[in-house]
Amino acid sequence: MFWLGRQASECEWRARAVVGLFRSARNANTPEVRGLRLLRSWLSPAQLAQFDAKGHFDVVGGESGKKYRIKFGICANVLELSEDGTPKVGWCVVPDCCLVAGDVMLAQKIALETFESAALAKANKFGAPAR
Amino acid sequence: MATQIVMDLNGDSRHQFDPQDAEALAKAERRFKELTGAGFIAAARTSTGESRLVRSFDPNVKETLFFPRLVGG
Repeated sequence: MFWLGRQASECEWRARAVVGLFRSARNANTPEVRGLRLLRSWLSPAQLAQFDAKGHFDVVGGESGKKYRIKFGICANVLELSEDGTPKVGWCVVPDCCLVAGDVMLAQKIALETFESAALAKANKFGAPAR
Repeated sequence: MATQIVMDLNGDSRHQFDPQDAEALAKAERRFKELTGAGFIAAARTSTGESRLVRSFDPNVKETLFFPRLVGG
């Protein structure tokens, strides 16, 4: 349990570092920055504000209305949230070729918002960390 | 101008075309069919932060995003 909590806080630290890096390298043209730029341009204003503040953003499943949290990363980064906002279970579903984090997160957002059940049917489930 | 954005190893590749140009439109439609035929998923933005799937080529869509099919990780 301690390890999971520590891993979660390290993920948030890493995500905040990446958002900070994006801000400082906003004009760069690396794949990572391009991916983050594309992601940011497709997020809703609320999702963008959450991403900038916390390094993750929440989406609402287009079919079930369930809430999911997409954390910065390229795998095992989608958490299904319970009604009180705590992580309930994790889902790992990713594009089938090697993409940068921003692209992966955007594909996950669109999938959950537009074809949630088909996306989750392909996903692998994992135990969610404490936070 | 309309844009087709394809996710790839470089982040993305962008293809702009003029929907009023018949040749450019045909090329864009061919690209749409090739990508979706290869398993890419096409999505468009309806308004800020909202997206919808695009099942067939629509010359009126300003920005179409293509991403690879999803698999369990």
